[in-house]
Amino acid sequence: MGSEIPMRLTTYLRERQWTTVFGYLLFVALMVAGYYYNLTFVQLGLIDLGTRLVGMSETAVSAWMAALALCTLLVAVVTGVTMDRRGWSTDVRTKLRLLFGVVCVQFALTLVAPHVRTVPAFGAWIVAASVGLGVGFPVSFSLAIDLVPVPDRGYVAAAITAIAYFAANAVPLSWSIDVFSRLMTAAMAPGLVVLAVLASGRVTRVEAVLSELGGQHREFGRGRFCYPDPVRARSLAFAVPVVLMFGVFFVDSLGFLRIIDTPSLLLSSWQSPDLATRWVIAVAHVLGAVMAGVIYVNYPMNRVFLWTFALFALTHVLYTSDLRVAAVFPTLTAGSSSPLNPAFYAVAVSFYTTLNFALWPDISTPETIGTHSAIGIGVAGWLATFTSTALALYFQATELPLLSHLNVVQALSLLLLFGLAVGLYVRRMVEIAGADGGATA
Amino acid sequence: MTPTEAIPLLIVVLLVVSAGGGDVDEMTVTFEGANTVETLDDVHVVAGGTSTVPANGSVSGDLYVIGGTARIAGELDGDVTVFAGNASILGDGVVTGTLQTISGDSSVADGATVGAVSSFDPPTPTASPARRIGAFLLQFLLLAVVGGWLARRRPALFDNLGHAITEHALVSGVVGALGSLALLVLFVYMAFTLLLIPLSVAGLVGELLIVLYGQIAFGHLVGTRLPIDRPDAATVAGIGVFLLGIELLGLVPYLGAIVQFGLFVVGFGAVLNTYFGLQRFEPVSIPDGAVR
Repeated sequence: MGSEIPMRLTTYLRERQWTTVFGYLLFVALMVAGYYYNLTFVQLGLIDLGTRLVGMSETAVSAWMAALALCTLLVAVVTGVTMDRRGWSTDVRTKLRLLFGVVCVQFALTLVAPHVRTVPAFGAWIVAASVGLGVGFPVSFSLAIDLVPVPDRGYVAAAITAIAYFAANAVPLSWSIDVFSRLMTAAMAPGLVVLAVLASGRVTRVEAVLSELGGQHREFGRGRFCYPDPVRARSLAFAVPVVLMFGVFFVDSLGFLRIIDTPSLLLSSWQSPDLATRWVIAVAHVLGAVMAGVIYVNYPMNRVFLWTFALFALTHVLYTSDLRVAAVFPTLTAGSSSPLNPAFYAVAVSFYTTLNFALWPDISTPETIGTHSAIGIGVAGWLATFTSTALALYFQATELPLLSHLNVVQALSLLLLFGLAVGLYVRRMVEIAGADGGATA
Repeated sequence: MTPTEAIPLLIVVLLVVSAGGGDVDEMTVTFEGANTVETLDDVHVVAGGTSTVPANGSVSGDLYVIGGTARIAGELDGDVTVFAGNASILGDGVVTGTLQTISGDSSVADGATVGAVSSFDPPTPTASPARRIGAFLLQFLLLAVVGGWLARRRPALFDNLGHAITEHALVSGVVGALGSLALLVLFVYMAFTLLLIPLSVAGLVGELLIVLYGQIAFGHLVGTRLPIDRPDAATVAGIGVFLLGIELLGLVPYLGAIVQFGLFVVGFGAVLNTYFGLQRFEPVSIPDGAVR
């Protein structure tokens, strides 16, 4: 008889395996910090930096952001492949040293960002940032094989998502590069010291801990979807999740960029002066992450994707329905918006973010984690986010109405949902046909 | 009132107007601010702010109030229906039709003229203990009949449902919460398209049936722990105990409602996860990750 799948963490706590428990904490802390940085400083701060401080047009900023995406992707792929070929993927010390270098670069970039005033300086900043990001994310994701046991990856991914989004939403911050820079500098400084100690190789007790953590990839390394055979980068088993994740990142970013550029929607949700509204969104993020973690652990991959797409489709139906109501009854446009829509949005975003944190290590082995996470997150995450950002800003430049813009997003999300459902059905059909050798009476 | 909050009542108004042969296309809505109604395009809906028919004004059409305030100081040739908010017929104000108050507040000043005044008092379960007991017995009777029959004829359904509830409560709860909420929103928005109202109603009824089926499953689980040998009788008794427990939980402030909600979503999720009890739910098996 089956029973609720328990977290391995409880066993480690009961058996007082503190080194392994420390590995969990280290991974969560690193990923939360990295994701929070990406979520705030890079995704929101860069737009403010380019348009307000440098004085560029939104279209120009969008072009630079697309360049950042491509550059990040290239650096990431080179880093990931190098990590696998040189065996860095299975060497926790090398990964921590690389990460220390990345955080040093990002710390310097964070300090100088508010002082950037010219287009060449902005371009140089973009290139340096893309190098940091491109090296940083395959390295940080590859730490999962050393620090997080396979059965717990869904829950750990949920914890990272919940903490990062809760912090980003519950703490009221102005979305400006100056504010982000001050906050990040203060937050990164202690992290930098901790990473320096971990990467130094000079503290005996730390070295003992790292030696133990460094051997864990033999026990935790083979991802959940690598049975019976490991997933190869040139296989459908890898390409399909990449395409699906690309779709969901693209849809999210394309819609969100327009929503946050619409004062009536933004001020009644993510930038609401009413703290209660922001807490509703923050709590929705946490609930969404927990739900995604539970579903990831208990269901096959396609079910998690189906839920994610269904939630996105529903969210955009809510948004576009409200806008259509407003179009029929114009007086409505002056009214405030309900927190229901951003709350649903938050749940959907938490769903796919949780999936993103758990998926790439789970379709990798210690020999492929560098390449897989680089291609996976590079294409699905960065490329999708920044190309959709570029498209969103282009839509704005062409003065596409809000409803038309979100209508495109809704169409894409419905298309993804429908496409996945049809794809799963056809796959099952092919399996049946293959097993039976054709129709049976 | 926000669009989302306004939608359910707007749907009701749309249905009422459509059913009454009114022209939905001619409907106007105000959501905020102070508005003076000097002309009326068949139907006007007050969803927020204040709409006033001025003292020297005379308009023809129906007025619906779903939020905010409607003030009639002049003449309105039509009906006023209040679903929420306030409607005031001021002195010298005239409503030729009916002032009907479904919910919300309405007042008619001395000197005002209203064709007819009617109010709807919805049955409140707490108002009458007898009515409440009657509703409880009716629910028990319905669930007991179905539960007893299923326990006798299809016990495997309850085995699967019970297994999902007891062994996978967290998964059932998550799926139940997500599924019930997402479907609820979907069906409400379907209704707003008007074309899909039948599907919306069917969906909402379907959701209710899933909730009731979940309650039967809980009742069966309780029944298996009672000292009764006959499975159908045990299930019927268990359903009674479970429903009574739910009622008692309602008396506990906050915590009682949370536990009620938890039981509701776990039951809902268990029904979905087991395909209404037809298949045992087993989570996927995750390998330990060792490199061999």
